[in-house]
Amino acid sequence: MTTVALKAKDYKSGVKPIWCPGCGHFAVLAAITRALAYLELPKEQVALISGIGCSSRLPAYVDSFGFHGLHGRALPLATGLKAARPELNVLVAGGDGDGFSIGGNHFLHACRRNIDLTYIAMDNRVYGMTKGQASPTTAPDWAESKLTPHGTGVRRFQPAAIALAAGATFIARGYSGDPKGLTRMLVEAITHPGFSFLHVLSPCITFRPEQRSWKTEVHPFAAGPYDEPVEAAREIQADDGLGLGILYAEHLPVWPPHYQPSGTLAEVEREFLI
Amino acid sequence: MKSEMGKMRNTDISVAITGSGGSGAVTAGLILLDAAARTGLYGLMMRSYGPQIRGGESASLLRLSSGPVACMNDQVDLLVGLDWRNAGRFAQEIPLVAESLIMTDPAAGAVPRSFATSGANVSELAFEAHARRVENGRLNMVAVGAAAAFCGLPQGAIDAALQKTLASKGRKLIESAAACVAIGYELATELGDPERDLPTKPAERWNISGNEACGLGGLRGGVRFVAAYPITPASDMLEWLAPRLEQLGGSLVQAEDELASINMVVGASYGGIPSLTATSGPGFSLMQEGLGLAVASETPVVVINVTRGGPSTGIPTKSEQSDLNIALNGMHGDAPHLVLAPLNVPDCAFTTQWAVRLAEHLQTAAIVLSDQSLGQAQAVTDPHGEREILLERVTERSPTEEYRRYTLSGDDISPMTLPGIAQGMYTADGLEHDELGIPSSKAEDHHRQLAKRRDKIEAFDFGSDWAEVRGDGALCLICWGSVSGAVLEAAERLEGEGLSVRVIAMRLLAPLRRDALRQALVGVERIWVVEQNHSGQLYHYLVSRGVLPDDAKVLAKPGPVPLRPGEIVNAIAEKE
Amino acid sequence: MSNVLAGEISSLAEFLAHALEMEVESAERYAELADNMEVHNNLQVAMLFRRLAVEGDAHAEQVTRRCATVELPNIAPWAFKWSSPDGPESPAMEDLHYLMSRRQALELALHNEVRGLAFYAEVADRSPNPKVRQLAGEMAREEDAHVAMLKSWLSREYDDGTAPLGDLDPPNMPE
Repeated sequence: MTTVALKAKDYKSGVKPIWCPGCGHFAVLAAITRALAYLELPKEQVALISGIGCSSRLPAYVDSFGFHGLHGRALPLATGLKAARPELNVLVAGGDGDGFSIGGNHFLHACRRNIDLTYIAMDNRVYGMTKGQASPTTAPDWAESKLTPHGTGVRRFQPAAIALAAGATFIARGYSGDPKGLTRMLVEAITHPGFSFLHVLSPCITFRPEQRSWKTEVHPFAAGPYDEPVEAAREIQADDGLGLGILYAEHLPVWPPHYQPSGTLAEVEREFLI
Repeated sequence: MKSEMGKMRNTDISVAITGSGGSGAVTAGLILLDAAARTGLYGLMMRSYGPQIRGGESASLLRLSSGPVACMNDQVDLLVGLDWRNAGRFAQEIPLVAESLIMTDPAAGAVPRSFATSGANVSELAFEAHARRVENGRLNMVAVGAAAAFCGLPQGAIDAALQKTLASKGRKLIESAAACVAIGYELATELGDPERDLPTKPAERWNISGNEACGLGGLRGGVRFVAAYPITPASDMLEWLAPRLEQLGGSLVQAEDELASINMVVGASYGGIPSLTATSGPGFSLMQEGLGLAVASETPVVVINVTRGGPSTGIPTKSEQSDLNIALNGMHGDAPHLVLAPLNVPDCAFTTQWAVRLAEHLQTAAIVLSDQSLGQAQAVTDPHGEREILLERVTERSPTEEYRRYTLSGDDISPMTLPGIAQGMYTADGLEHDELGIPSSKAEDHHRQLAKRRDKIEAFDFGSDWAEVRGDGALCLICWGSVSGAVLEAAERLEGEGLSVRVIAMRLLAPLRRDALRQALVGVERIWVVEQNHSGQLYHYLVSRGVLPDDAKVLAKPGPVPLRPGEIVNAIAEKE
Repeated sequence: MSNVLAGEISSLAEFLAHALEMEVESAERYAELADNMEVHNNLQVAMLFRRLAVEGDAHAEQVTRRCATVELPNIAPWAFKWSSPDGPESPAMEDLHYLMSRRQALELALHNEVRGLAFYAEVADRSPNPKVRQLAGEMAREEDAHVAMLKSWLSREYDDGTAPLGDLDPPNMPE
């Protein structure tokens, strides 16, 4: 193995992204490659797992192992890989639809498990790949989708608050328009031992052009990172959805615990003897 | 030619024990089975029960024989009623004839009409009254003694069985139980000597369930990762696997649902670790998309479907063979894969091991169709040693720049790299892709990759294990899975009546070995397909593939009651 | 002109590390933008960005030569001392649009080149280290030339004042 340090560019696969010019995901891709380079992670030890959607196209653009899996099922795919190969660096990428709608159940349990992987959810509050339907993080009165012409009328899913309630030990929110902050959070997230949830606001230029205004509306969390959930809950419940920073970081035992082998197959077979 | 099984079947006793409210019908059955095993008999035990979690009515159904047992007999020789509360529920599963014996406790009330109408002999034994003579005495132990005497089992064997089965309950309870058993033997002497022909020399036997055998097969096949969600009747397999996987350096993850389970095993397998999951019908439906992902990305995976009464929630505690259709065709798109089905309890180990090795080598999904009657049957069998299966996952450990994950080559099995192998990076995908794995919607990529995924399976030489073919004759019975036991026994009886019968018990259902099947049908003039479902799924599958003549017949009987050799014989004899 | 410098740069090595990062990032960014525009079939703008990427590579090469004898510090990606989210000379991806005109693309490039110039100018003005001030001054003058080049390209862009045509086709659903 070479000892020459890799640059961020070296982690790019060379496949040209199909994201629209103006998409926030480019900055997330850049932050990921920078973080990997900064941490000097060997490419063959990195696995990038995704589901379906614009965000989920990301693994193809990174020169690492990867699996572009089923809609909403990136977290279990990644969990199986990490449980079987704990020495790998496993990152999960997906969008708000993939992660919080069809993937919602897996999100809850991944937060509970505290498996050592990093989940990057790129949130643009819309279903971009399928032409602009409302997602769970879309405001109830957004009426631009033909599928829900009056708006969904349903309250927004709160990813960070739910991650906290579900027991995630690292919760942060970044913004594609703040690449420095995002890269730094990503480095912290990857190095955090346990499940790291990185919620990234990443505007969709095609279906939510008004999200450009996030540039002036984002702001740091009032405080943080908290290591105590009640205080963190107060912060996040008061949040307007545009607070940035590391909200929560706590060290708990990483799951699953690994046991040393203690027997042989022959011993197992002997159990059946009468 | 008489089969080996017929020659050995001198002793063949079927016993049923029913009771409720914690009376211990199941424990009684397990003790009898264990004792029979120590005597050198083979056996099969199933359980039936009501919907309650505890205290409900339950029944142990046993068949003990001097030859291997792979199905229940046409009738029960002895029915022991610990009590009769709601026992009528089991009437269909406890077929009695005039020659049968019912042991009943007068304190429990009259024998239910559904059993009494058989005309069976009734013997009144006051189990409860006698049990009260012993401190901590239990009436089921008195019944065990009486039943053991009926079966001709030596008391020493029962005592040894007690030691093992009641080990966790403490010495005092075991002593009380032994005392009750002794009383039971005494009571039964009134019935006379049963004159059973028992083996003279006990041999080494295994006591194993179908679910355990599947688990063992998985471990033998190299499985070291399982992710699963509990579901009846697969949960015991998972519970058996969890500590033993850990013992061997692997692990089991309890997933949040079946969608997570299948995706977790695909992920673990992508990482290079042979993996499987187990479920039943409803969970299997949920896994179809995940199975398709394994097929499209060419990631090995094994799913064991311990089938039960369907459709939908169906009959969770009863067996049925009605998931063949979904196993063959449940994935959307053209998704060639493997479907296998074990033929009996010991075969669960071999078939599962084979499925794992095949999936690893062919980089595809293998579905193993076990069922509740195999999974939850406790069988006393010969120890089944491991058969070496030399099929490996073709891995590229030193990829060059020219490496292509999905390269089109001679046998269409393209070497896989694994995470951790330098220069071996690729992104696996459910999207159609080119040889490099880059998503592609081009016609030639789609056609070529479809052909690759089909041809790697079709061109593989599965050898002779695709089916067990026995006997020779103009009449042929075709079956699969658990029904094979009853079919083979039916064939023996038909041969006893002078017919020549061939049996084809299929173990590999997909891909269909048409040439081998046609070869096996040479000389056959009349065909019956026998299966335990309503619509004749195997029959229609074989018809659709053009391997059955127009006049082939089907005996398709759905669950919840097992097919018995006698009813197969009758159905065929009627039409012969 | 807003304040582009977000902290004090006092050593030559640190300054060169910043300059190199700025130029390299800018060149890579233009290459990315060119790829993106090609994928979206805005070939006019793609060609422009491609040309700027080549220019950027040349600038980066120049800076690299200046760094030949200097041991550069390892600066974490978030620790560079410019106030902009990216390097001052890198156009932000979010400022793109698949239908943008060459004029708009040039305006974007000019805006960023001016910021690059401002960075050098501010360092030249405010660094406590005279060597740094001197070098920054030189590089500011080089930037001046780049800025002038872009301004002249821009002046040659024909602008008849009409708004660009919209896309008549609805969005696709690739997956």
